[in-house]
Order: sequence, then structure tokens, then C-alpha cells
Amino acid sequence: MTLEEKLLEILQRSASLEAMDWLEKECAAQRADFVQRSFYYAFSGVSRRFDKKGALTLQDGDADELGAEVPGFTLEGWDQFRLGRVILLLVLAEQGEEVFNETLGKLLGTADLREQAAIYSALPLLPGGEKLVELAIDGLRTNIVDVFDSIALGNPFPAKHFSDEAWNQMVLKALFISRPVFRIVGVDERANANLAVSMSDLAHERWAAGRWVSPELWRSCQGELSDQIVEDMKRLVESEEPGQREAVALVVAGSDGRLKPLRDKIPNLIEEVNAGTLTWDHVGRKYGNAQFSVFNDQQSDKK
Amino acid sequence: MKFFDSHVHMVSRTTDDYQRMAAAGTVALIEPSFWQGQPRTEVGSFKDYFNTLIGFERFRASQFGIKHYCTIGLNPKEANNEKLADGVMELLPLYICKEGVVGIGEIGFDDQTALEEKYLRIQARMAVEADLPIQIHTPHRDKKAGTKRTMDVLEDTGCDPARVIIDHNNEESVKEVLDRGYWAAFTIYPHTKLGNERLVEILREYGGERIIVDSAADWGISDALAVPKTAAVLKENGTTMETIERVTYGNPLEAYGQSGQVSESDWEDAEGVDPSALFAGNTLFRGGQDVEEAMDQYKVIT
Repeated sequence: MTLEEKLLEILQRSASLEAMDWLEKECAAQRADFVQRSFYYAFSGVSRRFDKKGALTLQDGDADELGAEVPGFTLEGWDQFRLGRVILLLVLAEQGEEVFNETLGKLLGTADLREQAAIYSALPLLPGGEKLVELAIDGLRTNIVDVFDSIALGNPFPAKHFSDEAWNQMVLKALFISRPVFRIVGVDERANANLAVSMSDLAHERWAAGRWVSPELWRSCQGELSDQIVEDMKRLVESEEPGQREAVALVVAGSDGRLKPLRDKIPNLIEEVNAGTLTWDHVGRKYGNAQFSVFNDQQSDKK
Repeated sequence: MKFFDSHVHMVSRTTDDYQRMAAAGTVALIEPSFWQGQPRTEVGSFKDYFNTLIGFERFRASQFGIKHYCTIGLNPKEANNEKLADGVMELLPLYICKEGVVGIGEIGFDDQTALEEKYLRIQARMAVEADLPIQIHTPHRDKKAGTKRTMDVLEDTGCDPARVIIDHNNEESVKEVLDRGYWAAFTIYPHTKLGNERLVEILREYGGERIIVDSAADWGISDALAVPKTAAVLKENGTTMETIERVTYGNPLEAYGQSGQVSESDWEDAEGVDPSALFAGNTLFRGGQDVEEAMDQYKVIT
């Protein structure tokens, strides 16, 4: 099964027969004779055929199958509109480079929020990866959470193509706007010393302002233990703030000798880490988009 | 009572208007693309304008619990700049099938020039091609002849009158519009054009079928509450509630509902307003205000 067939198969689980029939005909027509205007109608017109509130029906095994085609690629959080549009973009990707670039640029320049999310979600499937990096970096400048998420979360494009500088900006911003870091593809592999420094600095800024710091922040500091981070760990192992000691346990359990003594202060958590019942993903699921005030420990979910 | 204002230029209105409209029962509105009081000189200005209609303006309305739809098109005034108009024609296919776009509009005649006719025809064909309703602006000068000419062009282009809403009607134009099978909308402006008392007479003569009342409120002196206020005048003058409901809510919903992009469930099943929502980092509510509090001051007028 090709990737496109797999995507169609997933979409048809929840979409109407009529909508699927329309989409398949549009794809065939555009493949036979690509016409820019009809493509615009189809891309935006997904909203006229599919259910605007329609979620996808994902099954066990989808993630593995998709990941085998494009490592790290998942459909988590997608809806029918997004998947329908991404399938159309695969057809656009088969056109010549000039047509592809011009059409994609026009679509993005006039896209509504859901269309933007679809275009950014499609990036790992589109040709000319390096040439699309600037689009993705520019997209991350948004303050619209759904658009940011479509690039930063569950999308293997940044890990594969971003420079360290662009990567670090993205991860920092994700923490800054309370996005769940565990959903960033390649978050451990792309960790680097500069990012670790920035992370610790961000934590110090937040502390100075009396604010809570997501424990996910320390995920990018593992293995990059500067003196400042070592001091941070010593401080946090005593912290009562939500999630902080879990983070210390995860950093300390797999780190060098300097932090070994801290393990004795949190033996239960270390045991959980060793048993695999406490992981960064657990921490992310629990705290990834939470916001706390350190003064009253009351959770206030950001809507 | 619920109202649907199918013609109102919210980019020119303040949040006071949104608050008053919501308090008065306006649950949904359509913002037609129009000119902005002075001609644009670059195609890019249209792109950003259309992006606002499908973006930030929709968000602004949502913050008052009002559903915002739009029609996309090149207005007749700016159709007289041929180079600009050609650029806009290239742009339109990118927008007209988007979510929440309920038609092509407002298009039609202003000075009734050859260029206006050229772009009316192009856009009418586009509407047929994309299977979309059309919202027609009729000229303020020489209205009767201009309206007739508009319908001739539309029919010549293959448009189905049942999918066309002709706006800014008056006593002189309405008969032929209805006879030829179009929807006839009436714009209620304070002081000028059509006052709400005149509408009482029109409804007495023609009944409520295929007649729509809207405000066309814009950057000039106009009233974003024209639709609910007209409903009140009609009621005082003995128009039946059924007819009032039709012309201020049911008919615009049915006419533009033909786009498949607007249905009652859009507001009936809405989840309410989230005052902490942001658009591009922007919020409308200052200093922790909440919606209820912000709206309270306007409730006296209901």
C-alpha cells in the first residue's frame, strides 16, 4: 500500500462515501490535467465535502505503518479537512517544481487557519525539503496555537531539516507557550548544549518572576550538564512544585557521577524511572500543557 | 428573537456594535466584500482584506457569540480599474470555496460602465462554475434600469435566479426582481434610502416570500441594529411574527444556506464564547473583562 492509499484508507473510515468519491475523482482529474484554478477550488472546497467537525478514526498499527514510510509521521490531532487537503497536496507535489512552488506559495498566502495547518502538516511528505525550511520557520512565528502545533508537534519535518538555531527557537517557543514538548518529534535526538543553556536560562527567568516551570523543560538538558544545570538539579530535588522532582529523577537516573548523590534523595522516583513507569512522555502527558502558579499550586488549565 | 443580518461590513464597526448586535439577538451575519471608502491601488490590498474576512473578523465576531460568514468578490466601483480588477480575478479562485464563504459578492453595477459589466460577467461565471450563490449590489443611481440590466447579464451567464440575492431594492425595483425569481433584499438605512416604515408597506403588498431585510452597515452613518429595529417596527405595525421571522432570519438562512456553508446548527450547537481565546496573539477583552460583564451595559435595549 502506498502512503497515499494508506491515507485514503484512514480517511474513509470516518468520511462519507460521497466525500471520498469526490476526493478520489479530484485527485484523478488533477493527475490527468493539472489546472491551478480547479486545484484551488478542490483544496479549499474540502470544506464543502467533508464534515467540518469530523475527526479521524485512527487504529492501532496506523502509526507504525505511517512511520515505516516517513519516520515520525503521525496523524494525531488531525481532522478530516486536514487529511483531505494533505492528500490533495500529494497530487500537487507530483507537478513540476515551478508549478508546485508557485501554487503552494499562493495557497499558503491566502490560507485560512485550517488550511495553514494542513499545509504545514504536509511538509514532511512534500518534495524539496530543504527549500521548505523557510516556510516552516516563518510559520512558527505565528501566535496561533493550532498553526504552531501543526509544525512543532507530531511533525518530523523540523527534526530532519532545521538548523540547531531554528530547532532551539522552536523548542523554546513551545515551552514558552505551554505546548507539550513530548510531542515534538526528535526532541531527544536534537538536544544540544546551546539549547540546554537557553532552557536553564528560561527557568531562571521564570523563577525570578515567581512562575512555575514545566518539568518538560529539563528534557532537552539531559546529557548537557553545565554547572548551572547541575545547580538547578540540586535545587529542584528539594522542590515541592508539581513535576520538578520527577524531572530531576529522569535527568539524574541516566547521568554522570556529579549528580549521583541526588539519587538517594528521591529513591522511589529513581526506582520508577528504572522500572520504566516514569518517563519523559509520562511527564509530558501530565504537565505538557499545564500551567501552575507556584504560589498556590492550583492548576489552571489553559483553554 | 434571533436575527440574521445578511449584509453588514463589520471591519468598519466597533466592538460596541458587536455587543449591541449580540444583545439584540443577532446570531449570525454575512460580511460582503466591498470597497473601503476609497479605491485600493494594489492587488495585495485585496488579498489582505479577504484574509481579514476569513480570519480576524471572524474571530472578532465569535468573541461576541456571533457567527460570521462572508461573500468574496470585486465590487463594481473598483471594477473600473482594469489592471487591478484583473489581479483580483486571479485571486478570487483561491477564496471562493473556503469554509464559511457563502457566495460571491457584493458584485453588480455602480456607474454601469462596460468594465463593470465585464467583471460582473466573469464573477457570475465563476459562481456558476463553483456552484455558489451571488450577492448583488444594485446601483444607487438609475436603480431600476441598473437592476434590470444586472438580471439580464446574470441570466445571460447562466445563473439560476433562485441562487441570487439582489440587494438594496426599493419600491421601484422589487416587483421585477421577485417576478423573475430572485431573492430581494432591502437595506434599512437610517434617514436615507429605505426607512423601516416603507418596508411595512412593501411586505403588505408582496408578503414575506423571498424578501430579506439587512443593515448594510458600513463606515458611513448606518445602523448595525437595523434588522432587529426593523423587526420591532414591523411588529408595531401589525406584520405577523411569522413574516417578521422569515425576512429577518429564515429567508437569509435559506438563501445563503444554498452554499452549504451556513446552517442553524452553527450557532444552535455552538459551545459559547471563550474570552481567553486569542487570534495571532490578540485578545479583544481587556484587563480580565468577561463577556457577560462587557455585554451587560447593552441589555437595556432589548
